[in-house]
Amino acid sequence: MTLLVLAAMLLFAALPYLTTSNYIVGIAISACIFTVAAASLNLVYGFAGLLSFAQLGFWGIGGYAAALTVMTFGGNFWQGLLCAGLVNVVVAVAIGYPALRTGRHAFVIVTLAFSLLIALVARDWVSLTRGPLGIPGLPAPGLFGFEFNTTLRFYWVAFGYAVLALGFLYALSTSRIGRTLVAIKQNEPLVRAQGISPMPYKLAAFAVGAALTGIAGGIFAFHLKLIDPLFLDFYFMQTFLIMVIVGGAGSFWGVVIAGVVMSALPEVLRFSADLRMILYGVVLLAAMLAMPNGVAGWLQEQSLARARAALR
Amino acid sequence: MVVDPVYLVQLALNGIIIGLLYALIAVGLALIFGVLDIINFAHGELLMVGAFAMVFALPAVRLWYWPALAAAVVATALCGLVIYELFLSRLRIGEFERSILITLALSIIILHVAQYLFTANPRIVDTQYGFDGVMIGTIRITWTRVIGAAAALAAFGLLYVLLKHTQFGRAMRAIAQSRDAALMVGIRPKRVARNAVVLATALCGLAGAALAPIQLVTPGMGQYLIFKAFALVVIGGLGNIPGTIAAAVGLGLMESFIGGFFEIVWQEAAVFIVMIAVLFLRPDGLFKRGAMRVG
Repeated sequence: MTLLVLAAMLLFAALPYLTTSNYIVGIAISACIFTVAAASLNLVYGFAGLLSFAQLGFWGIGGYAAALTVMTFGGNFWQGLLCAGLVNVVVAVAIGYPALRTGRHAFVIVTLAFSLLIALVARDWVSLTRGPLGIPGLPAPGLFGFEFNTTLRFYWVAFGYAVLALGFLYALSTSRIGRTLVAIKQNEPLVRAQGISPMPYKLAAFAVGAALTGIAGGIFAFHLKLIDPLFLDFYFMQTFLIMVIVGGAGSFWGVVIAGVVMSALPEVLRFSADLRMILYGVVLLAAMLAMPNGVAGWLQEQSLARARAALR
Repeated sequence: MVVDPVYLVQLALNGIIIGLLYALIAVGLALIFGVLDIINFAHGELLMVGAFAMVFALPAVRLWYWPALAAAVVATALCGLVIYELFLSRLRIGEFERSILITLALSIIILHVAQYLFTANPRIVDTQYGFDGVMIGTIRITWTRVIGAAAALAAFGLLYVLLKHTQFGRAMRAIAQSRDAALMVGIRPKRVARNAVVLATALCGLAGAALAPIQLVTPGMGQYLIFKAFALVVIGGLGNIPGTIAAAVGLGLMESFIGGFFEIVWQEAAVFIVMIAVLFLRPDGLFKRGAMRVG
């Protein structure tokens, strides 16, 4: 299993040497970034059980924070990413603490309202974000004089982050903290009866998810070399959600694989934007009706059924 | 700043009218939530279906308002029935997140099919009333707005009668209050759920059809309105119908006054800020969480 993971990692790491096509590397960059965002949503939804639409807001805040740090405040790319992460943690705790106290239904609506509010702010706070004009011309990041100014070179940034972030998330989900989150999702009163307070865990998951999504958003903004209010289009939220659902909420590897696959899928369906979205909707619908726990959940059910049949 | 009282009254009337239309949308959502315990993300797209039905029905009946309205409502209700039978009837109780994702998927599909078929060009709808209006003193309101508001009020009256005095409605309130108890007295939840969905989508279709002559019709028109409707349902107390109506009219008034005195920008932001604030202070909504209290 670990051998498979290592092999896959090596393959992805070697991608710029295997192909010189900017198109394919571009898809790979998107795949890396979206997979991290989806894995963060998986932490919040799949492990902690909180269906949060706030990821979109954090994605946008991260993108704008990184862009503004570089363009308006004269920092460099890495400081921009750090800023994106920190701002998101602060906002996540500020919003998360009251939001987590509301009921299941209200939580979804509050996170949704939060993302819409951020989209509104991005569009209307023109003095800070330049409104619909956006912030173009984001420069390529540099490290010790080495400029990541081509798509192939930028891939290292995205891939490096993906490895770090996914590694961190994997460690988190297999740790005691991850198991506690799963316990909270399954039966919160029982967790409380064990003497564990759920709130710090939920808040921590929310904040970690926010920070990782924000940094991913920052990297994506620099990949696009432009950020504008469309960065907060609901399309991104749908994409992350679909990746988590199809992969299997609560399954780390399921979401990672689904992230990579679903990033490549739209490119295959380039012929029509509307048909692509219709297909997205159909995939989500089919997944929800037939495999409510995603591909990973379905595989798990199959192996359980086999085990039960073997016992007879 | 000298404030013209006529201006204030005009703003108030506009606010009430738009608030009543928001209420139509939100009450449908509240109904579905009360009976099925799901939040219907496709509600905005159903509104859009109602508006587009109006777009196509009006030329067919030579711009007569009422037949087109009736046709639009029926068309939307049929859509609701199909959606229920095919998708929502498979949901079990407690699968809240799954219901959100199914209705979200439906909303994506309906929106993009409409965009594919009808293009994103905004359409203007013309009715037999044109732009004629009624003058109250120096205040002018177009007939289409007045009729929209009147239709909304009539619908609420009808809803009240239905919910309070007919078995059709009593069954819905019973399920909303306690599903198990309703089962014990022989109420069939699947049938009542189907009725609730059809009723809610009819209300939504009415809202869309009433909105069609008032504003431009585009495939995306539902998306924007629906988020406000969600907020209204939660603020009004999930499932509490009079609370939702009150919250909706309040929102309409607030929007109208903010838009009248400040920049439009603040109008939209204010809605979300107020909603978040209310939800933080009173997580169960401003009014008591109703099991579809009717009065």
